[in-house]
Amino acid sequence: MNGFSTDNFQQSKRDFLKYFLGGGVLVWLAAVLYPILAYLKPPKEGDVEVTSVKAGKVSAMEKETGTIVRFGNKPVILVRTSAGEFRAFTATCTHLDCTVQFRKDMGLIWCACHNGKYDLNGRNVAGPPPRPLDEYRVIVQGEDIFISRKA
Amino acid sequence: MNRLVPKIAYTLAIGFCFAVRAPADDKCLTCHQSLGDKASELFMRDVHHTRGVTCAGCHGGDAKSEEMEQAMSKGAGFIGVPKGDGISKACAECHSNPERMRRYGSKLPTNQLEQLQASVHGNLATSGKEHIARCTTCHNAHGIVSVKDRASPVFPLNVVKTCTKCHADAAFMRTYNPSLPVDQLEKYRTSVHGSRNAKGDPKVAECASCHGSHDIRSAKDVKSAVFASNLPSTCSTCHSSAEYMKEYTIPTDQFEKFSKSVHGVALLRKHDLAAPACNACHGNHGATPPGVASISKVCGSCHALNADLFSSSPHKKAFDERNLPECETCHGNHEIIVATNKLLGVSSEAVCSRCHGETQNPKGYATARTMRALIDSLEVDEKRAATLVEEAEQKGMEISEAKYKLRDARQARLESRTMVHAFDEERFREVVSKGMDVASFVSDEATRALDEYVFRRIGLGIATLAMSVLAVSLYVFIRRLERRQSMGGKMSSSLPHRKP
Amino acid sequence: MIRFWKRFYDWVDERVQLSGLVEFMGKKYVPVHRHSIWYYFGGVSLFLFIIQVVTGILLLLYYKGGEELAFESIQFIMSKVQFGWLIRSIHSWTANLFILAAMIHMFSVYFEKAYRKPREFTWITGMLMFFLALGFGFSGYLLPWNELAFFATKVGTDIAGVIPVIGKPIMVFLRGGEEVTGATLSRFFGFHVAVFPGIFTVFLGIHLLLVQRQGMSEPLEFENESTAERKTMPFFPNFLLRDLLFWLIVLNLLAILAVFFPWELGKKADAFAPAPAGIKPEWYFLFMFQTLKYIPGTVLVFDGEVLGILLFSLAGLLWTLVPFWDRKSSRGEKSRSINYIGLFVVLYIIILTIIGWVA
Repeated sequence: MNGFSTDNFQQSKRDFLKYFLGGGVLVWLAAVLYPILAYLKPPKEGDVEVTSVKAGKVSAMEKETGTIVRFGNKPVILVRTSAGEFRAFTATCTHLDCTVQFRKDMGLIWCACHNGKYDLNGRNVAGPPPRPLDEYRVIVQGEDIFISRKA
Repeated sequence: MNRLVPKIAYTLAIGFCFAVRAPADDKCLTCHQSLGDKASELFMRDVHHTRGVTCAGCHGGDAKSEEMEQAMSKGAGFIGVPKGDGISKACAECHSNPERMRRYGSKLPTNQLEQLQASVHGNLATSGKEHIARCTTCHNAHGIVSVKDRASPVFPLNVVKTCTKCHADAAFMRTYNPSLPVDQLEKYRTSVHGSRNAKGDPKVAECASCHGSHDIRSAKDVKSAVFASNLPSTCSTCHSSAEYMKEYTIPTDQFEKFSKSVHGVALLRKHDLAAPACNACHGNHGATPPGVASISKVCGSCHALNADLFSSSPHKKAFDERNLPECETCHGNHEIIVATNKLLGVSSEAVCSRCHGETQNPKGYATARTMRALIDSLEVDEKRAATLVEEAEQKGMEISEAKYKLRDARQARLESRTMVHAFDEERFREVVSKGMDVASFVSDEATRALDEYVFRRIGLGIATLAMSVLAVSLYVFIRRLERRQSMGGKMSSSLPHRKP
Repeated sequence: MIRFWKRFYDWVDERVQLSGLVEFMGKKYVPVHRHSIWYYFGGVSLFLFIIQVVTGILLLLYYKGGEELAFESIQFIMSKVQFGWLIRSIHSWTANLFILAAMIHMFSVYFEKAYRKPREFTWITGMLMFFLALGFGFSGYLLPWNELAFFATKVGTDIAGVIPVIGKPIMVFLRGGEEVTGATLSRFFGFHVAVFPGIFTVFLGIHLLLVQRQGMSEPLEFENESTAERKTMPFFPNFLLRDLLFWLIVLNLLAILAVFFPWELGKKADAFAPAPAGIKPEWYFLFMFQTLKYIPGTVLVFDGEVLGILLFSLAGLLWTLVPFWDRKSSRGEKSRSINYIGLFVVLYIIILTIIGWVA
């Protein structure tokens, strides 16, 4: 009678707890497994982009070409002269911070915004730029080109 | 005794003839005049002679003596004809001595030699034996008169001739500085200054007005009066003086306007030597810089891209027909302010509406309005993207790639400002949409980062909630288990075990 | 549900005879006393190690070794891979918490003298695992190839090179060359994901086996009490459930740390750039680093740095061998001197670490 109903009550409390426990385990498991499973799905960007200080391979750059390389958060222009020498400068124009480019037809580094021109030593030779481009060190180790800041 | 008497008589006779002119003491002059000496002829008109300085004043010796041996003796301090730097030294004996100059009642400065020695003319000549210039190079030796005297070689109208003695001699100048031009005079004569000077106006600028007289320095020397950042104030010595410029018809506020302009601020305040001083547009000696047809076309020598675009735009013909100067019409000449978006469009501050109205030249009106709307929206988009990136960065999200891309949006905005000068809506739109694409990409990335930030915190909250529910129920379970164990005594292992 | 598991158990038992093992496990008990709380730290260390293995394996799926890509691959994980930020930050935080938990575990065992006979080998394997944990920390730190790690590795391997006679060869072996380069990165990667885990697992297995075989160590006071007075609780399910509760909270703590205190990445390493000012190692090496700074350049005829390193090595060796020279504890007696030595070591480490941090 009394004992019976207390027992029932205890039983129902036990069941209640067991549901809570069981449910809790499941929800918790879901909260742990969901990130792991989502992590395993490859992201849409596919793969890591090479942005590093290693600018590329010697064989990939022809003479009289230039390319922009990302150096941390700044653009750097790497040019290969007609003599085969590598030079690197900041690609930020000293006039109003546009990104410069290499122009084979001019044999110069050119800025599209206001027609600023720099020679292949980074010196500002024509147009509004007030200062030359800061130079970066280029080190060639075997097949690899490294760009680093000038000390 | 025999030789002496005719000499004395002769001297006295000559002296008597010229006694009226020559001061009693200058026996040197008396004698040399009788010899028909060119120098002494010139010296008669010399200001030194008028002031009572004798030949001995520069040459040394005894001016009171009639005897040549005595007058021209070393013992009396005679130095003969001074050569080279000796000349400047001789002049400086008085002219660098303030006390002596005061005794003659002169208000002249006394630092000329000092200045000369520090100037570019104070360098060694190619002979190596003397310096390039000495006092007599410009002032002559014996007929020296005040600079205000029309006869002086340094009178404004004569300065040009004095300077070009060396400076127009190509062979001579080549031995000093082959890169210095020698055609300044020709160019000068094409300018207002030069033509008025030729007509006899002593007020206009000649060589010394800008370059100085004794303290002439190379234009590359930062102390030179014609050094880029000094030049505007040199020009304004005359050109900003309403008093001086009274009889000329031109305004006198150019320097004031220039100082406030982009070019002026860049040159004078920021010391940006690439910025134009007066000579960059108006020419050094000539009326315009070399190779420039008219000053209205000079802007293109630096702003080449804008000039190119303008030349192939419909404005070129329209402006030529109306005889309007190209850049100056919209941008001004001396008071050029920073070109902002406000210059473009059809509002009251914009320049386009000066010619283009809704009913008058409506096509241009529409184009102007569209272009302004486009560049404004690009600016708005770019600002929004930058703000979002900053917010994401502040929140610690990894957004470096998007931030890097933002440069391209800014670049597009700058390029579009240049592209305005083609006055072509299609080309303008092309440049602007490149920028807007970048800006929207960056905004999307930044928004995604911000959403992710919120998602992480919400996700954590949910996981923590789940964990807490589990933890609490687990705790209660343990409690219950242990209570049962201590009461029941028997093991209640949750592991299944065989019944014995 | 329960019947299914019972049937499964029976099926396995028929083939493997689990009943003996199960009975044995069922009898495992945990002493309940004033210092019982320290019993949890061995389990927590194990839990954190397991987290490291799991998150480490997940990171392996996207990490790219080699100096051109290492940094960028971590950037990729942090920004592009879903929950990559979570996995990586948990891995970095857990590394530190693992070493902290291991230290607490080690010191609590020391002060309880649980290393005494018959548990000497448990202590030895534990110490070896601890040294491996430091190795894990040092090698793993370099893997993002960022500025801080690059210079910390340079300084750390420089110190190794100072040891007389064998120092230089050791340094070259560690660095894969004379300088810290991409070759160093490759080596450290190999150590971190293969060599150390392999060796660690062996010692861990021995350690856990011994603990199961010998049971939980009881404090000396316990042994003096009668069997009736000793309070215990069964390992299964009581202690295990409490353990699980504790682990649950720790895991959530890690998630909170990952969200609100994400692990930094910093700048990519540039071998040609000068070292940033104030470079210092991670906190668990700081006390040694700071001590070396205080030792004068030359002490008598010896080079100060070498002396410092040798002293620390000696101290580490003595500490590891404590079961063998602490005679009193193996006899079952209280040992005041052990406590004093331990207290000195703990205080020294804490104070030097704090000084190294704020200096």
